[in-house]
Amino acid sequence: MKKTVVKQRLLIRLMKMTLYQFLLTLIFSTVTMANSLNGQGKLDAKVTISVSDMNLNNALKELEKSADVKFSYNSRMVSSNQKISIKAEDELLSTILSRILKPLNIKYSLISNHIVLQKEDNKKEHNSSFSQQQKTLTGIVYDANGVALPGASILVKGSTTGTSTDFDGKFSINVDNSATVLIISYIGFDTVEIPIGDKTDFKITLNESSQKLNEVIIIGYGTQNRASVTGAISTVKAEQMAALPVANAVEALQGRAAGVSIVNTGGPGSEPLVNIRGFGSFNNTAPLYVVDGVIVGSLSGVNQNDIESVNVLKDASTTAVYGAKGSNGVIVVTTKKGTKGAIQLSLNVLTGFQNQNKRYDLLNTEQYLQYAKDAFGTIPTTPSSQSGVNTNWQDQIYQAGLVRNYDFGISGGGEKSSVRISGGYAEKEGIIIGTDFERYSFRANSDFTLGKLKIGESMSVAFNRTRPELDGGGRTLLEHAIKSAPYLTVYNPNNLGGFQGPNASGDTNDAENPVRIMKLPTVNNKSFSFIGNIFAELEIAKDLKFKTQVGVDYYSTNNSRFTPSFNDDSLGATHTQNFATIDKGTSFGQNIIFTNSLTYDKTFANVHNFQFLLLAEKIQSKFNSLNATSRNPISNDIDNILGSNQQIAATSSSNEYNKIGYLARLNYDFNNKYIASASIRRDGSSRFGANERYGWFYSGSLGWNIAKEDFMVDSDFSTLKLRGSYGISGNDNIPNYAYSAVLTSDFLYPIDGEGAAGTTANGLANPNLKWEQSEQLNIGLDIGLFKEKLTAAVEYYVNKSDDLLLNVPLPTSLGVNSGSQYRNVGSVESKGFEVTIGYNDYEGDFKWAANLNFGTSKSEAKSLGGTVTELLGGDFEGESITRITEGQTLYHYYGLVMDGIYQNQAEVNAVFTANPSQTTVTPGDIRYKDLNNDGNITNADKTIIGDALPDFTYGLNLDASYKNWDFNMFFTGLQGRDLINTNIYDLEGMSRLFNSGVNVMDRWTPTNPSNSIPKAGGAPQNTSISTRYLEDGSFTRLKNLSIGYTLPSEVFGQNYFSKCRIYISGQNLFTITDYSGLDPEIGNSNGFQSGIDRGAFPQPKTYLVGLQLTF
Amino acid sequence: MKTNKIILLFFSILTALTTITACSDNDLNLVDPTNLSPESFFKTEPQVQSSVNAAYANLQTIGLFSRAYFFMYDLMGVDASGNPQLEADKVQYANFSFDSNHANIGDYWESCYRGINKANFVIDNSNIINALPDATISLEKKNKYISEAKFLRALYYFLLVNRFGDIPLITKVPTTSEGYPRSPKQEVYDLIISDLKTASTDLLDKDVEQKGRATKQAAIALLGKVYLYLEQYDLALAEFNKLNGKFTLEPNYFDNFKEETEHGRESIFEIGYEETLGTGTLWNSGFTGAGQNEATLRGQEYGFNNWFNTYPAPGLLADYETGDSRFEDSFYTDGDIFEGDVNQRIIRTGTPPGPVPSTEIYIPLARPAAWRKYQNYYKRANENGNSSINFKYIRYADVLLMMAECESLRPGGDQATAISYINQVRQRPSVMLPTLPLTLTKTEVFDAIMHERRVELAGEQSRFSDLIRWGKAETVLASQGFAPKNKLWPIPAREISSNPAISETDQNQGY
Repeated sequence: MKKTVVKQRLLIRLMKMTLYQFLLTLIFSTVTMANSLNGQGKLDAKVTISVSDMNLNNALKELEKSADVKFSYNSRMVSSNQKISIKAEDELLSTILSRILKPLNIKYSLISNHIVLQKEDNKKEHNSSFSQQQKTLTGIVYDANGVALPGASILVKGSTTGTSTDFDGKFSINVDNSATVLIISYIGFDTVEIPIGDKTDFKITLNESSQKLNEVIIIGYGTQNRASVTGAISTVKAEQMAALPVANAVEALQGRAAGVSIVNTGGPGSEPLVNIRGFGSFNNTAPLYVVDGVIVGSLSGVNQNDIESVNVLKDASTTAVYGAKGSNGVIVVTTKKGTKGAIQLSLNVLTGFQNQNKRYDLLNTEQYLQYAKDAFGTIPTTPSSQSGVNTNWQDQIYQAGLVRNYDFGISGGGEKSSVRISGGYAEKEGIIIGTDFERYSFRANSDFTLGKLKIGESMSVAFNRTRPELDGGGRTLLEHAIKSAPYLTVYNPNNLGGFQGPNASGDTNDAENPVRIMKLPTVNNKSFSFIGNIFAELEIAKDLKFKTQVGVDYYSTNNSRFTPSFNDDSLGATHTQNFATIDKGTSFGQNIIFTNSLTYDKTFANVHNFQFLLLAEKIQSKFNSLNATSRNPISNDIDNILGSNQQIAATSSSNEYNKIGYLARLNYDFNNKYIASASIRRDGSSRFGANERYGWFYSGSLGWNIAKEDFMVDSDFSTLKLRGSYGISGNDNIPNYAYSAVLTSDFLYPIDGEGAAGTTANGLANPNLKWEQSEQLNIGLDIGLFKEKLTAAVEYYVNKSDDLLLNVPLPTSLGVNSGSQYRNVGSVESKGFEVTIGYNDYEGDFKWAANLNFGTSKSEAKSLGGTVTELLGGDFEGESITRITEGQTLYHYYGLVMDGIYQNQAEVNAVFTANPSQTTVTPGDIRYKDLNNDGNITNADKTIIGDALPDFTYGLNLDASYKNWDFNMFFTGLQGRDLINTNIYDLEGMSRLFNSGVNVMDRWTPTNPSNSIPKAGGAPQNTSISTRYLEDGSFTRLKNLSIGYTLPSEVFGQNYFSKCRIYISGQNLFTITDYSGLDPEIGNSNGFQSGIDRGAFPQPKTYLVGLQLTF
Repeated sequence: MKTNKIILLFFSILTALTTITACSDNDLNLVDPTNLSPESFFKTEPQVQSSVNAAYANLQTIGLFSRAYFFMYDLMGVDASGNPQLEADKVQYANFSFDSNHANIGDYWESCYRGINKANFVIDNSNIINALPDATISLEKKNKYISEAKFLRALYYFLLVNRFGDIPLITKVPTTSEGYPRSPKQEVYDLIISDLKTASTDLLDKDVEQKGRATKQAAIALLGKVYLYLEQYDLALAEFNKLNGKFTLEPNYFDNFKEETEHGRESIFEIGYEETLGTGTLWNSGFTGAGQNEATLRGQEYGFNNWFNTYPAPGLLADYETGDSRFEDSFYTDGDIFEGDVNQRIIRTGTPPGPVPSTEIYIPLARPAAWRKYQNYYKRANENGNSSINFKYIRYADVLLMMAECESLRPGGDQATAISYINQVRQRPSVMLPTLPLTLTKTEVFDAIMHERRVELAGEQSRFSDLIRWGKAETVLASQGFAPKNKLWPIPAREISSNPAISETDQNQGY
């Protein structure tokens, strides 16, 4: 009996799914399909059946067996104690159904190969003579996303009067005038009670109940029921991402999934950094992105409001099916599809602004001039140094930026087709002057069923325009703002270009006018992307489907930058350009993915569920670019490259990348209780030489649904599942042609006044280059208690990557032009825990839910292959900050340990015992620990001082609602991450005279024996990489706060809409951190740079109001 | 039965899947469409010439002549002193506090080795080049191209061996990633001498060769200089004497340092710059030589109306004899006209008494003098970031002074002959300083050479190397912080970390 209910729930849930998902779900459910899929044919099938005095439920089950059909109905609607008897031999199914159902006032219709049962309209039941005591109520029932729900049950409280919604989710019911409350229920949703009052028309929204067991998870090349998932998958739902003002959908994933680290960097429109389960590679650790089955390079062209769900695949059992691309994890994005039934129109509007008020405390003009005189004995002699101007350069580079998003989506569909189209506009001005982002996006998803053939497509186009933060001379804007002398004015109409910069007047003039850097050039970076697929799926035999799909990711960029000539100081130009520069670049790239697959889905003996997949895939990628720059010394009026201009430099390049893959996968479960799966994939890539072109990737996993065991029947566990997986996935993240030796012609030398072009060998070939392999073990436990009110998942993983593809630096004395060679060296091990805990209270007027995710990750270099002992990176002032060595945490910082300041010569002498004559270090300089006790301070005293990998990361989401009010609070953060704040060098380095932080006024002097800030000037060692720059980058950030109010549908007297929600929200409203810099959220796709803050673009606070409407 | 049919169906369709997807191994055989392949190269003369051109490009790196070279040598030799704005790593040259992590020292090392590898690419393929038909390239041209590569290889090794002592000696294009250990510096000198001997016979004469390329005379002069550094004075003199009649001094000293008079009668080998050819990757070219780096930053870095990172060292200024016009040609001082300025302002020194009149311009920081040599101020008021003025790596005045040194120091040398070489330099038409008496003692001659080299070659990166080979650095530079270990630079940390054949224990003494 219990089993039957589960099955019914499943069936009815299926009804509300789109046709596409519906079919995919069928593959994984125990449902078997009729021989004929043609609806009408099904009703015309001849059936033999004989039952007597059986309740309707069981009778229908018998019929399902003998007629090979499926019924969908609301159990409330069909009274189970209704007994029926029928005997038929070779009768039309339609006839049999009429015989059974007509007397029970039940009508049937065929929807999506299911026979849906509904009560006949109640009108007929009632005699018109009662009409004066009755009224007719009408309405429509939606889910939270505004999708109409067919088959929902409507019952008048305290009576047996009831009906159900039709195909469009609409109902009409005659009730006694005395009726006060309607009860609306639907399987998988919370039951609601609606007071009737004087109303006759209702718009009712049902919220999904917390039952997650039957949720369908999109995995690689297919779908699975959550119950039968054995791998590590994190799912992020559309509603968690909606209504955030993000320029890239990935940003909205931040903090949502355990083990998935996302760092926002740069200005609006720049690509966030994503890292799944630590650093498994020395190369790019970006995951693979798959949108509707198309492998794409980035999600920047996907509007987050079009996203239905995001599944993050984290372990081998889920990623090995992507073979040579899966080892960094896979982010699978599914976009919203058309819905059947009534046409839905939804609109989302939000607007607001963002800003950032945190500043470094810098010297003002008076303080600066005093500092210059006291610390460097310099009195700046430029006229403006005495002008009394006091410019706060930080205020000059930051602004409040406008944020706007408009989206619409319309969807609908009939029995055999469904369509959704959507469009959006997003605009985001950066908090740094001159930066912004703009996107227009359009999408159309549709599918059609033609008998046994199903054809569908999804296509999206996006036009992006970005104006990025610019740098000047390789220094960030913030560095310029810190260092610029405060006595300078921002603008000066007497200078060419209209800006004022420093001159060689005594203070140092590295710093350029940051406002000029941003405002003088005209920059426009445009991109266009098209992501689409078209597929056809044919049921070629019973349980056997063939699917063919072509996916395309096409993108083009068009970047231009025009910088007119300028001279920032007509009195003595330090920053000047006596010609206009024009840079133009275009590129386009395309990935075409052609996939053919065969799935066989079969249940034997009702308990052995098999799903078998065979797949062949071919990926072809092409990329072309053309870049040209020129100088125009005669005019600032033309932003095009003219043939007569001097110094035109143009380059073009193209490259290709092809891949071939074959995959076989078997999923098996015994009655959803014991689960096993295995996959094997063979991939060939053009990125490797003929010797090692192909690789094997495989995985296996096991799962045990303990909660389904008989001994668990009476327990509070609704879910208790133990699962484990093991497998190998790969990575070919290296440039194309890296295995081959080529020549390069990028050399020039003037001979006789002409440019003589040079050509030489570029690098060393490595024909034995092969895949990077990641061996991944994952053990997980899923817990659900009290009907999934309390859920938890715990994962433990160990990923060991071998044959790491590393661009190994060659001995510099070899003089090889590439400087390095790709080799398979070294191994890295990452391991960690992930915990997800959720609590959902969906009952009563006050509902709340809390979700916590927590992940640890530790990555260690196990081996560097013996050829090199260490890898260095993260250059700063000629030194390397970051290092990889065997047996140590990846990307640790390597530097000296600061131990105060030398207060007198005796203290200096006490340390430099082996080098007593050294004259560089004197009192007032930094004392470093002589770790090797050799009586000298050298590089040998450097040690591991920290690392950029956090001990753990977390996200905490709190949702609450009270009646029409809803509330969300989302925290994200990390703990135990060290940052190197190079801004300290700019603020307190005092190696030369720049504007500085106010702390320099408290520097060491003979009369001010500071023990933390050394003297000005001082020994070169004072600025060495050391714990002086090391800071704790741990933080907790209120990532999102929103308060919404859903207007009662009748608020305007009529039902204009099914949902109208207004909300206010804020992002990054506060951050708890000890970090002294502007923002502890620091990242870089280069692991060596990942924790170095060189004046990063801080994440802004955003304040928004928004409106969500569904019609 | 039914199951068998299904299995059969699966495998038939698997075959079909592959066919439909049209997967083929050929799809994985791709050739880089942007770059040349080694197999198709060395077929024509332009290709051979192009391989030689590449080896020149490493002279124009940040690590060498475009930037670091003049800072390193001018500051270490105290021709230049740093202003407060001088970057910390440059200050380390001036006070000898650099260590093996010094970025520009690594760049210098790597620039040279990158150049050496490009030269080896030509020399290593000389079999292929020599096998080309004479109709494709004449024998003379084949020899000349290979010798250009040998000249450049010798030059890069000379730059290295002077600063680092024993170094990896590499004469082949590497085929594996294995590193080379340090070779005794004598072996390096042997290669330099052997390469230059070949070059001095096979290179073209300066009268016929394109301006900017290595010539027979450049090879001879460099070979002479190498012998001088090895204190093989007779051999050096023999080479220098071969230059007789080929070169004369510029009548006007300043013409050695102007763009318009490059490759003049005094010039033997220059590092070429031509900013109109492009400067797109100037700041990014630490050592690769790739891209457009066709300008030097010296003017911008040193110029008093620009970044003014250095000023002429007071000791250098004091060394000039009264009336030596080379002082005026090399420096701006109070009262000079700011020539390139449209307003022809008068240059002033000291602290401005108040608002500066529009007719004057002050050398900042109250410095007594500023660089004029190698600046573009003779024709424009601003350096504009880039300079096209070539560096004279060897000019005839230098050769004359080296000849004087060789003659004076060689066993049985004739001091009067040595003095006559010095006098040639002093008697340049624009200089016309009194001749030195031919009766000076050997010691006096040496003092005269030291003085004359310092003022004639001020700011030409000669002084530091001279002091080292004369054994004078420890005394002259002691006040700067020079220690005996500083005769050599440290082997760059990046070489030690990347080369398994060199470990920290192989580091030069004291680093």
